[in-house]
Amino acid sequence: MARQALNIYSVIIYIFLLLPIAVVVGASFNSGEFLTFPPQGFSLRWYVAFLNNEVFMRAIRTSLWIAAVAMVVSGIIGTMAAVYYVNYAARSKETIRIAMLSPLLLPEVLTAISLLFFVYAVGIGTTTMFGLLVGHVLITLPFVFMNVTSSLEGYDPDWSMAAQSLGASRWTRFRRITLPLIKPGVFSGCLFAFVISFDVFTISFMLKSIGSSTLPIQLFDYLKTNYTPEAAAVSTVSIVVTILVVIISEKVLGLRVHRF
Amino acid sequence: MQTASPGNRPYLLLLPAAILLIVFMAIPYLNILVTSFRNPGQGTPYADGYTLMNYARIFSSPLYQGQLFNTLWIGIVTTFATLVIGLPVAFQLGRADLRWRGLAYGIVLSPLLVGIVIRSYGWTILLGNNGVINRTLINLGLTEYPLPLMYNSLGIIIALVHVFLPFMILPIMSAVQSIDPAVVSAARSLGAGRATVIRRILLPLAMPGIQAGCILVFVLSLSAYVTPAMIGGLRVKTMAVTVVDALLDTFQWPLGAALALMLSAIGAVIVMIFARATRMKWKVG
Repeated sequence: MARQALNIYSVIIYIFLLLPIAVVVGASFNSGEFLTFPPQGFSLRWYVAFLNNEVFMRAIRTSLWIAAVAMVVSGIIGTMAAVYYVNYAARSKETIRIAMLSPLLLPEVLTAISLLFFVYAVGIGTTTMFGLLVGHVLITLPFVFMNVTSSLEGYDPDWSMAAQSLGASRWTRFRRITLPLIKPGVFSGCLFAFVISFDVFTISFMLKSIGSSTLPIQLFDYLKTNYTPEAAAVSTVSIVVTILVVIISEKVLGLRVHRF
Repeated sequence: MQTASPGNRPYLLLLPAAILLIVFMAIPYLNILVTSFRNPGQGTPYADGYTLMNYARIFSSPLYQGQLFNTLWIGIVTTFATLVIGLPVAFQLGRADLRWRGLAYGIVLSPLLVGIVIRSYGWTILLGNNGVINRTLINLGLTEYPLPLMYNSLGIIIALVHVFLPFMILPIMSAVQSIDPAVVSAARSLGAGRATVIRRILLPLAMPGIQAGCILVFVLSLSAYVTPAMIGGLRVKTMAVTVVDALLDTFQWPLGAALALMLSAIGAVIVMIFARATRMKWKVG
């Protein structure tokens, strides 16, 4: 049966998608000194090593801090722009949309290079984390914008009009009508911003200052010279944390996480 | 009374985003163009004065041309492979009556939640000379020596296909979802076979998703840094890797800028040829 064949084919592709992730998780429990296959035995020693490794712990703190800042700044700026885009933009609508999505449409490596040149040209350089933070805000901005915009799509301008005719001021209308409507979009947009910022590589790689390595950068540098399963333990913890954040957001907060 | 509500001056809502995008996107992108025409410096990123030398250097260097060609080749093969592999999965996921839809959708989405360094790391564990695949093949007696799966274009393509497959499946899936089932039923009742339905109805209607997926994957593969750097090692360098190294290690800013712009320009031309050949209707997002 053609349908049967398609099912088998899809399962093979799903295995292909999960395989590299499963291998990393599996390797993290290897008790051997090096990444060997088949593994030498089960052990949590690399998790202990990772928790005692100040370099990785500092990288995690840096990543969390940058992701939090990027999330808050993108969340505010992106939400404001989305409200303008849906409620007020008229002729310039398509231009605004393309501009807001441009960090996503243009190659990240080009954005990273242009920002690097720019921070040096204006004399800021990479001695502070300013350039890095700006880069993370730029990359996460489209996700907030997309999520808030789509949550505003079902917005009926009549509601606002009705409130106005009942004597509600502009501020009251914004607070009591617009804000509750966009809340789910803002939350899922911010969640996306956080997760994306946590993974951003090229921008962090080119704009990092001394001591501001994020977790992906630290992992990349570590893997250049080290072959111990400690990197697998770091990766596994990072995977579990991300998945937990998403599951908690979906199940507890009832958010719908979508990218397209 | 003046209030801070958005009603009085609504454009204020757009102002922060506009400033951010103009100051930190538009101006830096113009600046990178200017930098590509600057004179290379000695000990400094660039010197005074302007030149066409950086572009001339690319056109006269077999090394850079080879890398440029190889990068484009990897991008095209990766795009084609993700399309061929992802299309059936996307069509299946787009069907409303699928039993395990939630789980399947989660699996397709899951690689996006795992960092790109971690996914590439997974592939180094799989593809290495002492990796999972080669060890298994040797232990089964299927090969005596490890197959060359890493430090070459093949390894880079395998890993890139994995990394970007969700970006092909998701747009096609959402295009398939918006197809009215009645259209398919109508075609079948008029006597169209399964193959005819796919060729004459499903594929044309899914075309916007296919185009979006192909462009997304192609552009992402051209500018990918992590995966080619980790899988290709020092032996196979794609353009993005060369550019980043030229900027960070040897501080050749004008050359790096010229190489990056050249790659982007050729990529854009290929995207436009593709869009014209498939009669694409441009619509962002």
